[in-house]
Amino acid sequence: MRKYMALARVARRTMLAYRGGFIVHVLGATLALVALFYLWRAIFAASTALEGYTWEQMKAYLLVAFLSSMLVAWFGEWRVAEKIMDGEVAGDLVKPLDFQRARLAEVVGAVAIELVVSAVAVAVILVAFGSMVMPGGLHAALFAVSFVAGLMLKFTVVYAVALVCFWTTGYLGVVWARTAITNLLSGALIPLAFFPGWLRGLAQALPFQGIVATPAAIYLEQVDARTAVRLIAVQAAWIVALWWVGRFMFSRGVRQVTIHGG
Amino acid sequence: MIEARRLTKRFRQAVKEPGLAGTLKHLARPRYREQVAVDAIDLTIEAGEAVAYVGPNGAGKSTTIKMLTGILVPTEGHLTVNGLVPHENRIENGRRIGVVFGQRTQLWWDIALVESFALLRDIYEVPARRYAENMASFSELLGIDEFLDQPVRSLSLGQRMRAELAAALLHDPAIVYLDEPTIGLDIDARDRIRGFVRDLNAQRGTTVMLTSHDLGDIEGICQRIVVIDHGRVVYDGALTALKDTHARERIIHFQLREPVTDMEELRRSIAPATLDEAASDLHLSARFNRFELRGGEVVARVMRQCEVVDFHIEEPSIEQVIRRVYARKLTLEPGAGTLQGA
Repeated sequence: MRKYMALARVARRTMLAYRGGFIVHVLGATLALVALFYLWRAIFAASTALEGYTWEQMKAYLLVAFLSSMLVAWFGEWRVAEKIMDGEVAGDLVKPLDFQRARLAEVVGAVAIELVVSAVAVAVILVAFGSMVMPGGLHAALFAVSFVAGLMLKFTVVYAVALVCFWTTGYLGVVWARTAITNLLSGALIPLAFFPGWLRGLAQALPFQGIVATPAAIYLEQVDARTAVRLIAVQAAWIVALWWVGRFMFSRGVRQVTIHGG
Repeated sequence: MIEARRLTKRFRQAVKEPGLAGTLKHLARPRYREQVAVDAIDLTIEAGEAVAYVGPNGAGKSTTIKMLTGILVPTEGHLTVNGLVPHENRIENGRRIGVVFGQRTQLWWDIALVESFALLRDIYEVPARRYAENMASFSELLGIDEFLDQPVRSLSLGQRMRAELAAALLHDPAIVYLDEPTIGLDIDARDRIRGFVRDLNAQRGTTVMLTSHDLGDIEGICQRIVVIDHGRVVYDGALTALKDTHARERIIHFQLREPVTDMEELRRSIAPATLDEAASDLHLSARFNRFELRGGEVVARVMRQCEVVDFHIEEPSIEQVIRRVYARKLTLEPGAGTLQGA
């Protein structure tokens, strides 16, 4: 356990070494968020509620979506994919470390920094756009659990997808496809309620909705506590399933790896 | 320490015709070619040995090392290192081995070197006292204390390789694999690394397996040499035996004040040594078998006939020997090692 904590610490240091690039990344994302805010405000100017969302709720939804897209991003699939593509994985395989746990440790280490910087961005937005709805005590607690589960779920998805690089010769396409699918089906772009029925059904059958839609619904108290607990259980089931998918993929991928050079 | 029996690794390579048409064709009906990188190798290395593993590029050296370290999974054959099957027990195997890949870093690029070491201490669970002892020893022998506070990305290649070596040995591995550890280094840095590895092997009894194209590395560190070509072991034996058997020839180059007057007489007098075609009138190169003639004798005979300004002896290089081993132009004598598959 101690070794993974040490890895998390080093990931945090590495993040700090790249703070310039990271801050620019957050600034860009914040600007995109501001644009989204103006867009939705214009849409809500015409009506008070859309698909059950008021403007106040939509603001909160966008912020939850923003936070979950900002976290578990920096040390995500790029790093895993690059490790596989450029053969750095060889160095990991000769160390007494579990590859998946080591990557999780790095992500956890980096999240602390991501959270601090993203929270600043959220605070700035709140000042600019006024108040935000807050959930009640029980829902706030359930939201916290669900949000963390959403991040863990995001890690298991990102990790498994990055391992596809064992079988491909490039990772750009893989990562872009994953990002597009996650953004759409998690509800990060538009709440699932706005989807046509069939697409909503599809999203509900897949794990991605656990990343944004589930914590957002709990935050907005669109579901009662009992349903919230059930949704968190669904998240947990996906986490366990995808964790093992990742382990299986790694053990298969590493069997047929050809590491070039040297 | 290492036991490999008929260790084999085959890679599957996609066969693609050039151009878009070829790519599409491959997509529709993929064809593959099997490439044998390592072909039924038998290898036994005892604890405390220092073994050079050499061969031309693409001979299968790195593939073997990657199987021994547990990175690659063998296609066939049996392999145990320290009693473990490396790829089945990666974590336990990882605890007991040290690896230096000259061409890639195992350190963390963006943080200070000392933090990389602290992280390795935690990963390998090195006791605090042992860590302090090792760091003191590496500082003394490799001079790593000069740049401990710098991030790895800012180190020179020589500094980085010293750091890599220290990093691979921090946890006192029983066996260390060095894959081209001196590639690209200057003479000073090479000497330092060679001396360090030699002492490590002699004093700590660490088993060393080295691949290198640098013959100085091989001669400076190893007692035993295994030559591999086309995935097969073609020579396995003592380095000195290989040299004695296959590097008997020496060449002495002379620089003369005046051209030789009677070439025939000179040829007769230095026999059985022979003269090479000279580059100019003022140069002579005498070639001889060092078991038939002594170098001093050759020099004395030449000096009786010519006025020698300067001379130097060309040592038989292992490289030439190895080249001949590859070419299978060898007859090996009993006790000089075993030639396999010739």
